[in-house]
Order: sequence, then structure tokens, then C-alpha cells
Amino acid sequence: MILPAGDNVIATQDLVKRYPGADQAALNGLTLQVARGTVFGLLGPNGAGKTTAISTLCTLLRPTAGTATVLGHDVVREADAVRRLIGLVPQDIALYPSLTARENLRYFARMVRVPGRRIEARVSECLELVGLLDCADRRIATFSGGMKRRANLAVGILHQPEVLFLDEPTVGIDAQSRNLILERLAELNRAGMTLLYTTHYMEEAQQLCDEIAIIDAGRIIASGVPAQLVAAADGCENLEDLFLVLTGKQLRD
Amino acid sequence: MMLLLANIKKELLLLSRDRAGLLVLFVMPMLLVLVLALIQDNLFRATGETATRALFVNLDEGGLGAELGVKLEATGALELVEEFAGQKISIERARQTVFNGDYQFAIVIPPTFSANINAAAETTARGAFREEQSPLTASQLTVFFDPTVRGVYRTAVVNALQRGVLGLDIARKSEAFGRLLPEELQRSMNEQMGPFWSGGMQPKLPQLSADWTGQALIELHEESAYPEKYATLPTSVQQNVPAWTLFGMFFIVIPLAGTLIRERQEGTLTRLMTMPVGNASLLLGKVFAYLLICLVQFGLMLAVGKFVLPLLGTPVLEIGSAPLALLAVAISAALAACGYGILVGVLARSYDQASTFGAVSVVIAAALGGVMVPVYVMPRVMQELSVISPLGWGLDAFLEIFVRGGNLVSVLPQVAALVGFFLVCIVFASLVFRRWRRGA
Repeated sequence: MILPAGDNVIATQDLVKRYPGADQAALNGLTLQVARGTVFGLLGPNGAGKTTAISTLCTLLRPTAGTATVLGHDVVREADAVRRLIGLVPQDIALYPSLTARENLRYFARMVRVPGRRIEARVSECLELVGLLDCADRRIATFSGGMKRRANLAVGILHQPEVLFLDEPTVGIDAQSRNLILERLAELNRAGMTLLYTTHYMEEAQQLCDEIAIIDAGRIIASGVPAQLVAAADGCENLEDLFLVLTGKQLRD
Repeated sequence: MMLLLANIKKELLLLSRDRAGLLVLFVMPMLLVLVLALIQDNLFRATGETATRALFVNLDEGGLGAELGVKLEATGALELVEEFAGQKISIERARQTVFNGDYQFAIVIPPTFSANINAAAETTARGAFREEQSPLTASQLTVFFDPTVRGVYRTAVVNALQRGVLGLDIARKSEAFGRLLPEELQRSMNEQMGPFWSGGMQPKLPQLSADWTGQALIELHEESAYPEKYATLPTSVQQNVPAWTLFGMFFIVIPLAGTLIRERQEGTLTRLMTMPVGNASLLLGKVFAYLLICLVQFGLMLAVGKFVLPLLGTPVLEIGSAPLALLAVAISAALAACGYGILVGVLARSYDQASTFGAVSVVIAAALGGVMVPVYVMPRVMQELSVISPLGWGLDAFLEIFVRGGNLVSVLPQVAALVGFFLVCIVFASLVFRRWRRGA
């Protein structure tokens, strides 16, 4: 294990990911560091490479070139070690719709090696944390969008990972659910969990993130503390202004 | 081990929540066994085991039409119906009844049947004595067929008819021969001896009887065309229950492949791949859960053959006396089906692909393996091709136990082939799975 300098829990160096048959690289020399205990926002327009970056760091994709480490473990050579230390809240509602919330959490708790005697207690804790304990025995298929998102988050934190990756965890849900999720993420961070998080909601990133990186075409075009970045940019009042200045106003469908 | 158990439990939970899917998994194969065993039982009977009912319109003014009727019924292949509600059947009514499909055959005996046969027999016998050819007026017998009747069925009836007609033919010729012999002998002697022949002297000749016409000179011995394969041919139930049971078990390919595809589409598989859980645990969890389902299916379908089908008039399914061998074959066939399901699930890109390819490939393997038509009645080329079908291996093993009293040792080759097929499928699927997981 190689511990990154400055206690960075995530470090990438010239990371390149080129999909077969694609004209452009999805990641094109991405270099970033995420310090322990921070909430790091990875922002960018559609197709910028955010999901590819998270997938690579979560061991789902093998980079074409460059290196990436999580908590000092190389994501390719030490994928198993990385998997034990991270949690992922994917963009999809990655749950079994015909199982109840509790059944889903019990199953995933086994998969992330929560000790058998602790499973029931930990499942209840996580359900309570996301406000779903009362409907724990309802099937996921009967949940609203916000409830599903919260259950999706609960699975990601079952084993109290040191680093939690979140890919647009609040997309398409009501204000109440979004507020609850953001509050819980802040709590988890205060408890010492490092969060790497992608979103299209700039005000959310400004509220939650200690540090951000704006990426486009697979490379970082700006990074730093949100407030400092906004202050340094002429005519930008907030992160959204800065984002549009840096990435342009043309559609990216 | 705990991970594997958790995966098995999850799969069973998912299955238990899919009531429609469960209905398909259990009810469909049972219906398949019930319906097809019953249908094929009737077909087996229609092509030889029981008499076929046919209309018999006898317009003959002599007695030979009735005699033919007796001979036809004596073959055991035909049961003749001569009247509807106490009334003789007319030709037109017979033709219409057959055309409507109410009966499949009608045999019509013309009014001059006896007269024509007798005249023809006499002409033939006399011509034989005098070494001369005389023109014959053959008696015509008409058979109306329902146009939808299958060839094999039609052939069976025509054969029975020809047997009856041949018997009648020989009997009439022999009778004419016996009757003409003294007269022709007298005439011949007169011609040869001329004035030296005393017309008062009648030659004493042995009397001929036509009874010998009914005695067979050649005895037909029936033997299986494939005796090395089956010492005794399986009944329709012995053939159909294991055959359609295997078919049903292999249809597990579709829901099993479907779970893998749904997990990919819903994102749960992606999530699982970021967790510290091995590929073997994920894949074998599915295999063992569905293996259990297959074995329950198997048990239910044997119960249908043993207890339900006999209530509907079919023979009882005899399952032999080697329960351990039966279990080994059932487990290995179920493993083969599950392994194939996993492979299809890994290779298919969508549920539609998996369901279409899975279903078609199982139907092809079933056809090749003798599920639909027994291998022993297939053309030789198809019999040779049947060796590539896992369903064929399974069926062979079941028939070995059910029909030939096989045991664990005698079904070992088929069990090994089925387990080998499972291993090939699962290893190949694991390699593809590993490639996904390594993000290739």
C-alpha cells in the first residue's frame, strides 16, 4: 500500500479512459487528489466524464492509462482491497424492487461483510438514518422516488466505508428528500467519512462541498474551494455562473 | 459460505415474490406433461395399439361383403360401424360424415362385389387350367379418407384393409380351383385319351378345402428396430413424462438468464461488483437457488406421471428401482439447465435476446434429444445428431432407469456428460463475468 502525500484518500494521476469505438477519451489525463474527511464535488456537464471517473475509482472500469489509488490501494491491482473500503451510491436505484427495504439492506449487508450478529442492528440504524425505519418492511417497488433514493443511500453506508462515492444522489426527487439526504451526508462527513460526489445542482455543491473540481471533456478545468473559485472569477455571483462561464452555454445532450 | 447462502436466499426471495413467474415455472411444465402425454398416448393407440373406428357401407347383394367385414374386424385394426341409429348408412352420408371429420374413414362395398369376385375367381382359375388369359372384371372397393388424416394413420388402415381383401381373394380363388379341378381333369382326359377313355369312369380325386387359406405360411415376427437401445419400447407415459420434464427444467434458462439481465439493467449487479464479494458466490448463488426450483419441478412432474395421468386413462409411470440414480440424473440435468441459463444470461444483451435465444435453443435441443419424437423413430442422421443434446443425455438416462432397470453405474456416462456441460457453461460464464468485473 502506498499512502498518498498529504493524507489524500483518493489520488489519480493522468488518468485516461477510452471506450472502444469512441472518438474521444472519456477521461483525458485526469489528475486529482481528495484529502481525508472532505466532501469533494466533481462537477461537469453531461458527458464530461464524472461517472467514468467514479466508476474507475470504484474498480468498475479499468483505466486505459494513468493510475488511481483509493486509501493507498491501486484500483486495478488491489481492486479487492479497494472494494472493502469504499461505498457506492450509484445514479441508478440499485435495489431489488420486489424485496422490502429491510430485505435489500440485509442482503447487501452480507455482501459488504457486516458481521452476522450486527446485521439487524446496522440495517435498522441505516434505515433510521435515512428516515425509512417506519416503512422498512414495504417493498421498494411501492416507494416514492425520494424514498428509493434514500434507501439507495442507506445501502451505500451499511459497512461504514471510509470513502463514499455518490453519483448524483439527489437527482429527480422532492425538496424534502433532497434536504434529508444532504443533511445526512453532512453528518456522515462530520463523523469522518470522505465523500466524493457528482451533481448537476450547483447550489447543492456550493452548500455541501469543501472542495470541487469542474471537469469537461475528461479533464479538470477548475478546482478548489467553491467560494474562492467564485470570488476569483469576474462577474460570477455563484457556482452556477462560474460553471456556465467555464463550460459554455451550448447544449451537451 | 455465508455470502453464498445470502445469495441463494436472495434469489429464492426474489422468486417467491414473482408469483406469475413461479406459476410459469411450475404449472407450465406440469401442463406440458399432462397434455402432451395424453395427446401422444392417443396417437400411440391410434397408430396400432387399439382399433380404429371406420364406417362400413355394405351394398353387396351377395355374402362376400359381410365376410370381408368379419375378416377386417378380425385383424383387430378396425372396428366397423354399419348403422346410425338403426339405419344403414348410405354412400352419400358416409362421404359427408368423413368429410366433416366425424369419422376418419368409410369403406364402401359395391352391390356387385360378390358377383364380380366370384366371376373373377372362376375366370382366373379356369384360365390357369387352360393356360389362357381371360379379361377380368375386378371388384372395386372404395375408401373415403378424411383429408386431414396423417399418412401414418392412413397407412395403418390401408394395410388392415389389404390384409382382409387378400384373405378373401385367396379364399375365393381356392374355392374356384377346387370346384373346377374334377371338371377340368375330366375334360383333359377326354381330350388326351379320345375313344380309349371310358366316359363311365370317373377319376377319384381328393376333395379340396379352402380352410388352408386362413393358415399362415410365413409368420411375421416383430422386433424393435433398435434393440440395443431399448429392450422394451417405452410407453407414451414412459417416453413423455421424463421428456417433457426435462423440457420444463431447461426452460428455467429464461427466468435464470432474466435475473442476471435485470440485475445488469437495474444496476444492482454494478453495485455488487463494487463490493467484496466473489464472482463464484454471485453465480453459484443463482445456480443453487434455481437448482432447487428444478428439483421441485422434477418431483411434481413425476407425481403427475405416477398419480395424475393414470386417473386420465394412461399407463402408470414406472420409475424403476434406483432412486439414487434417479436423483443423480435429476440433479445433473438441473445443473446443466442452470449452467446454460447463466451462460445465456451473461452473453445476452437484453431480456428479449435471452428469452428468444433461450427458448429457441431449448426447443432445438429438445427436438434433437428426442423429447418431441423418440430418437429411435428419427432418421439415422438425426439419431447421430441427438448425441449433442444435453436433453438427449438426460432423456437417455431417465429411460435407462425407467425402462431398462438401469442403476447409478449405467447412467454414469450421461450424468458425467450433463455435469461436464454444466462445468463448461459455468466456467465460460465466469470468464465473461470476470472480464466485466475487471472493467475490460
